[in-house]
Amino acid sequence: MSLRDSILATLVAALVLSTMPWLLSDFALSLTLTCLMYAGLAVSWAMFCGATNYLSLATAAFFGLGAYVTAWGAEGLPYGVAVLLGGLLAAAFAGLVGAAVLHLRGAYFAVITFGLGELVRHAVTYYEKAFQGTVGRVIEEPPEAVTIYHTVLLLAVLATVTALVVRASRLGLALRGIGADEERAQTLGVNARRAKILAFALSAFFAGALGAAMAVRWTYIDPPTVFNPFIGFQTVLIAMVGGAHTIIGPIASSVLFSLLTEFLRLQFPYLFMILLGLLLILLVLYLPGGLASLIGRWRWRKSNA
Amino acid sequence: MREPLLSARGVTVRFGGLVAVDGVDLDVHGGELVGVIGPNGAGKTTFFHTLSGVLVPTEGSVVVAGDDLTGRPPHAYALHGVARTFQTPRVFKEMPAIDNVRFGLEFAGRTRKHAHDAFDEPGAILDFLGLADVAAVPAGGLTPSKQRLLEIGMALGARPRVLLLDEVAAGLTHAEVDLTAQLIRRVRDELGLAVVWIEHAVRVLMNTVERVAVLHQGRKIADGDPRVVARDPAVVEAYLGEEGEPERKAA
Repeated sequence: MSLRDSILATLVAALVLSTMPWLLSDFALSLTLTCLMYAGLAVSWAMFCGATNYLSLATAAFFGLGAYVTAWGAEGLPYGVAVLLGGLLAAAFAGLVGAAVLHLRGAYFAVITFGLGELVRHAVTYYEKAFQGTVGRVIEEPPEAVTIYHTVLLLAVLATVTALVVRASRLGLALRGIGADEERAQTLGVNARRAKILAFALSAFFAGALGAAMAVRWTYIDPPTVFNPFIGFQTVLIAMVGGAHTIIGPIASSVLFSLLTEFLRLQFPYLFMILLGLLLILLVLYLPGGLASLIGRWRWRKSNA
Repeated sequence: MREPLLSARGVTVRFGGLVAVDGVDLDVHGGELVGVIGPNGAGKTTFFHTLSGVLVPTEGSVVVAGDDLTGRPPHAYALHGVARTFQTPRVFKEMPAIDNVRFGLEFAGRTRKHAHDAFDEPGAILDFLGLADVAAVPAGGLTPSKQRLLEIGMALGARPRVLLLDEVAAGLTHAEVDLTAQLIRRVRDELGLAVVWIEHAVRVLMNTVERVAVLHQGRKIADGDPRVVARDPAVVEAYLGEEGEPERKAA
């Protein structure tokens, strides 16, 4: 599909999804919201990590920072502004940190970004206790469910369109070159440092904005909730299971994951984590290219039939 | 004399206690075809790494087109017109061959024009190398000798002023080596590039280049006309001494 067709398809899907608040039950709508959140997180994660083969576990840090922008601004800041600021703060933070650690690779980068999440969580906890005298915050007047839904939908759509544009751009090519062989890409003229910092910050923007947008759903916000490492792990898993080098893969797998998690939790409340883990292991073992690689295989079979 | 395009001044590289490259000077002018030879472990590839920014020399400087680029990242060298190949082909395996060539055109190559306009098209570069029929094949699926050619194509895509070739003939058959030598001459003659060619196998290189520098144990021991250099006692000794006098190597 060409870039224009892909963007068009995304917008059509967005239009259909935007009518859901009037069609779905509260339960189904909240499930859709979770799908959209993870789709946005996974797509923006894959935008940087999928192309460059970097494993970032910093999603929780960006998400939590965004959520705290909403919490801190709950009294004065309009919801939309908080979401924007949450994204910008996360992007600025990612740019700063990226400049310091993006020369690391593989396990070192993964561990550093994970540590980063913990660092930010403890820093926020300390700040709140020492200077604000509180351990958590209550959001007294959350926006309407429809507003939240539409904001998260908008962010997921923006993340997808951005990912599509980046993939078709020179930045996308530079990132793929870095993923394949960073030094080789550099000797052909790629400013690897700049490309990585830019893409890392761009991907953090969406995680931060989604954190800020989703924060109002909890009504009570404290660091363990919004800096939950599970959010980061889940994002990475969804993107990898879907196929991190694609865009449709992470979207499809975020839907699958959210539905599956919900189904297993309702049907097998005691076994659900075990089953989810088992499923993951099987997927990683037998489908290392992710769900998106199924499409490739199917096409290959069809053309060889 | 005109200003050299690429100038290495007293380049020294130390790895711990080992001196891999020891105070090497090398000037390359536009349109020159220079060979660099030396026995195994002479520091040829390490020296090349410093010329392309892949390695920062411990001492000395590398000046490209009048700008001192010592300590700058590799892309700065590429943007100044230095392109290189790697001894072990480092093509982007997942990308089709043609996209490997296009890569350089999209980055370092964007800033310059070739004398040869046809080289603005990745297809023309593949044609030049005789790789047109594998344009759509993922680079990882090519034979090793075609991957070596594609390495040259990637470097040409960057529209270089100086092309650094690191043992592009290694592991090829005699016939293939001769073809590669012809190709290198054509790159220089038709595109007017300066070419620096490192090779361990000396025979064809000596017949192709106009000037040859010899590295031995990290030092440059000769630099000049191949016919003169071949008779240089120090060079003869370096090559023969490698087998004949083990105690010298230990020193």
